Amino acid sequence: MNAIEQESSVIKARAPASLGTLQHTRRAARRMPEAFQSISYLTVTIFGLFCLVPLWMIVSGSLTDESALGLNGYSLFPQPFSLRAYELLFTGPSLLNGYLASLFITVVGTVLSISCTTSLAWVIARRLPFISRPLTIFAYVPMLFNGGLVPFYLLVTQVLHLTNSWFAMILPLMLAPFLIFVTVSFFRQLPEEILDAARIDGAGELRIFFQIVLPLSKPILAVLALFYAVTYWNEWFTGLLFLSDPDRFPLQLILQNLISNVTNAASLPSSAGDAAAPVYQLRFAMTVLTVGPILLAYPFAQRFFVKGITLGATKG
Amino acid sequence: MRLSRRQFMALSGAAGITAAFPGLSPAFASSTGTSTALLPSQAPTGWKTVLDKANAKLQAELGFTFDAQFINWSNYAQQSLLKFTAGAQFDTALQALWLNMAQLQQSGALADLTGQIDKWPNLKKQIAPKLIQANTWGGKLWGIPQVNSAGRIQHFGIRQDLAEKYGFTEINDFGTLEKFLYAVKEKEAGVTPFGVASQTGWQMAVATPTGMFNEDSWENPYTMQYSLAGSGLRFYFDKDAAKTGSSKPIPWWDDAGTVAALKKIRKYYQDGIINADALNVDQATIESQFGAGRFASLWSITDGLQSNRLAGLKKAVPTAALGQVLPFGGPLGKVKPVQTFQADNMIVVNANGGDVDRAMALQDWFSIQENHDLVGLGIEGTDWKAVGDHSFEQLSTYSFPSYAILWRAGLERLTSSMTDSEKKSFGWAQDYDNFTLDTFASFIADVTPVKEAAAQMNNVITQYANPLFYGVGDVDAGLDKLKKAADAAGLDVIMTELSKQGDAYLKARA
Amino acid sequence: MTGAEQGAARTPNRRRRLSSRDNLVLMLLALPGIVWFLIFSYGPMAGLVVAFKSFNIRDGIFGSPWNGLANFRYFLTSGDAATIVFNTVFLNALFLGASLFAGLVLALMLNEIRGGLYRRFVQSVIFFPYFVSPIVISIMLQVILSGVGGRGGLLNDMLSVFDLPQVAWYTEPGAWPWILTIVKVWQLGGYTSVIFLAAITSISEEVYEAAAIDGASRWRMALSVTVPLLLPTFAVLVVLGVGRMFFGDFATIYAIVQDNGVLFPTTDVIDTYVFRSLRMIGDFGTTAAIGLFQSVVGFVFVTAAVLVQRRFQKENGIL
Repeated sequence: MNAIEQESSVIKARAPASLGTLQHTRRAARRMPEAFQSISYLTVTIFGLFCLVPLWMIVSGSLTDESALGLNGYSLFPQPFSLRAYELLFTGPSLLNGYLASLFITVVGTVLSISCTTSLAWVIARRLPFISRPLTIFAYVPMLFNGGLVPFYLLVTQVLHLTNSWFAMILPLMLAPFLIFVTVSFFRQLPEEILDAARIDGAGELRIFFQIVLPLSKPILAVLALFYAVTYWNEWFTGLLFLSDPDRFPLQLILQNLISNVTNAASLPSSAGDAAAPVYQLRFAMTVLTVGPILLAYPFAQRFFVKGITLGATKG
Repeated sequence: MRLSRRQFMALSGAAGITAAFPGLSPAFASSTGTSTALLPSQAPTGWKTVLDKANAKLQAELGFTFDAQFINWSNYAQQSLLKFTAGAQFDTALQALWLNMAQLQQSGALADLTGQIDKWPNLKKQIAPKLIQANTWGGKLWGIPQVNSAGRIQHFGIRQDLAEKYGFTEINDFGTLEKFLYAVKEKEAGVTPFGVASQTGWQMAVATPTGMFNEDSWENPYTMQYSLAGSGLRFYFDKDAAKTGSSKPIPWWDDAGTVAALKKIRKYYQDGIINADALNVDQATIESQFGAGRFASLWSITDGLQSNRLAGLKKAVPTAALGQVLPFGGPLGKVKPVQTFQADNMIVVNANGGDVDRAMALQDWFSIQENHDLVGLGIEGTDWKAVGDHSFEQLSTYSFPSYAILWRAGLERLTSSMTDSEKKSFGWAQDYDNFTLDTFASFIADVTPVKEAAAQMNNVITQYANPLFYGVGDVDAGLDKLKKAADAAGLDVIMTELSKQGDAYLKARA
Repeated sequence: MTGAEQGAARTPNRRRRLSSRDNLVLMLLALPGIVWFLIFSYGPMAGLVVAFKSFNIRDGIFGSPWNGLANFRYFLTSGDAATIVFNTVFLNALFLGASLFAGLVLALMLNEIRGGLYRRFVQSVIFFPYFVSPIVISIMLQVILSGVGGRGGLLNDMLSVFDLPQVAWYTEPGAWPWILTIVKVWQLGGYTSVIFLAAITSISEEVYEAAAIDGASRWRMALSVTVPLLLPTFAVLVVLGVGRMFFGDFATIYAIVQDNGVLFPTTDVIDTYVFRSLRMIGDFGTTAAIGLFQSVVGFVFVTAAVLVQRRFQKENGIL
């Protein structure tokens, strides 16, 4: 039996109704798919609007003058138009340095993360006796148990001496147990036959991993790249803890500082220089600056969520 | 490292040499390196230039340099606590009772500064003895108080243009103020008479010594609230405690005047005099809305910075004017409200990684007008321009958190854009003689014996008291729930302990 | 291939023994990850001892005196412990269930969308809410529910169009578990759907072709082919979520509710309660104790979940 027949026998075993109602579904096949597809289009569009309207409000709010925002709280149309928030953001501390720092952290971090996540996940997924199961628990426990902020701070500053280094932001985030287990789940669904065929051909474990498993795992690699990149891009708290040189601050930290100080300047003694900052508008503009690059990069990652990647792998 | 250097100096007799020359500033004896300060907010525009200039001077005069680590306000409390706890290397930080100062002091993180100020002539000149005395806890000084006025009285900042429009040129008592608020509600569409944000609710009713809507406190500003750090609990001591020797503290909900204020607030909420979303809106939003012209009055305090709102307000409402209203029932100076003179902000020195001498030397250096203006205002001519001896005009957007390291009441320059109204009230607040010293002025409640009850009380206050302060919900029913919950959280344990501490304070004072 | 070989090919590799060289090579592969966990996760865990100590800064973590279980007493003896724990678990269950369900449904439906451009556009749009900071979410929610000044809001405006009574949402605790769940679905629906879409992508085309030959409609294919093949992923996400059941979603909930005590009966969770009580007192030992408590309970929950899964679905378990 080849793979196709194996799989369809599985389906038949699970859904005998489809055989009995063969005639019915053949006739209904004309109408039924349309109903489900229409519902899908509709639901997805509604949910899309549900997400789009707030996005639009944020973009529009970032371009609306503070006086109108203060009166209404929101704006669906940028009237009166104002670029003040973006002015403040771009003429403040150098955003260029921020973008460069974020880029370094994101790229280096994502590469490190993907390599370590996939390699660890593969060893767990292989179900090696005496190795995989303890590793599973070993990788899971940190999801629940956390030593707290002070020991972490002491570790990075006094044990590893990473103060003021970008690696102080990269290393702590390098592995996410959640993503390790999602990857494990994915690896376990890879067709066994391919791996066995390779083993019979005499390939060693490393070869199997690098030349067979990884190329087959493009979808999950895309997911990992996306999720890790997003985490690194958005991270600012570790920057706050460990970076002391403002020229090394990543973008998110600069924005976070700006927003916090402007927001709090209102309730604290300030000098005339702080007055009249457009707080509402700044918050929206900051969201746009953060989300923008991701929304622009995401369609490229989506290329990997296309069916047929594994097509042909099982033949022959 | 620094410790051994100091020990070495002592061994070599350097300290002895210094002692042989009275009047010689101890600065000549020691420090090197960099004095780092933890500051809130962010680096001002053009900070590098100013810092370089200041350090050039500092290095030449005292032999060390200065550096600032700015931590944004939202994270300042947590980050400064973390840095203290982890023994990071820095000399000074801004701390306060409303941050974590009490806890840090009890945990051994702060250096004892008792008697240190006397050693530094410039600094000593700028800090009034009354101020030092008021901020001594149990005989010890744990931080250098940062104030820019003698008294701090919360009051109303109003839209003077609206007041004049409706015929309220002089508002001297609470009744007139209330008439003004109702007039605005009735006649001015789209303007809410009073705007308030979340997290400031207690100021609406609790006497300190003035509660915003506490009518009683405007006529008799002689009751001062005290708080138990970390519990959110505010209480009053007995008015005759000085005579009887018995402190008899009561929580604020047992005071008739405060409860009457709650009822007033409830009425205002229902009549639309105050905004209904106060529980969830933050201060920045309220300020922003005030700047857009949505409110007729706002919380104000005598810090000389209230006029800064005018510039933004004028953009939205060109005819706007601001005024400060302290409805004491007559001209300022007629009543003398009580004050504790406890500073809202203090400079503390890190005991486990900071250098006391160097920190004090820096503070002394900041107490000279020229240095104070350089770091606080920027480069003269580029960032600011002097207007007379005591004022300045802002030229750039340089904005330094002076209250965190170099407020000196005698050296502060007033902004040239200060309104006359504020000049009057701020000027009145500078004189210690305009205020009465409260009986319990330097009392700081020690929370360690009742830590758990205090933490639980915090939740009770947040959950049951907050809505009352904003007029959400019926007052009597709400007070009932509050009292029940407070009792369950251990109110009597706390009050007994406070009574004990209060009595001990009275005894020691006598 | 003979039957025996087929059998060998189809059984999971669990029974095959690898050479020790292979084992070593695989261990090398896992080494960076193991080292990372030891340094960054297990190292700082030593700091958990402070949960049993009376911490003071002068003595540091290892010098402070022991105080047994005193730090745990604070939370467990507070009168609100029951409500707070219930809220934490209930809200987490709602959030987990709703976001997983939404993610699954969205993935299935996105799979039906043919047009490449439209599909990519929608996928981007639904992914974006994940990045909106909790403060901005809080502001937008206020616009919808209470409007500027607290006496309006877009939702109330809509209600008045239908002649329904206005509701002061920020003083109605009962509605909030559902409001928060809707916010979570908005926030996480797109994000979760990405995981499921990746899993769907790896289902080979032939399976669907075979089903189509049998005359299955798209609906039947989604239900009988896709969903069962997504079950392992779904199960993993559930187990991972169950372990965090005692950890409240602090960031989102605190940003939205803040200190509005009226809403606490239904929205206050362990993390917000602890944050508020201790933000002034800042007691390191008590915070660590409560965190430890949450971790241990989560561990118990996960062990139970894994055992349950092994009982019913042996081959798909994590372990």
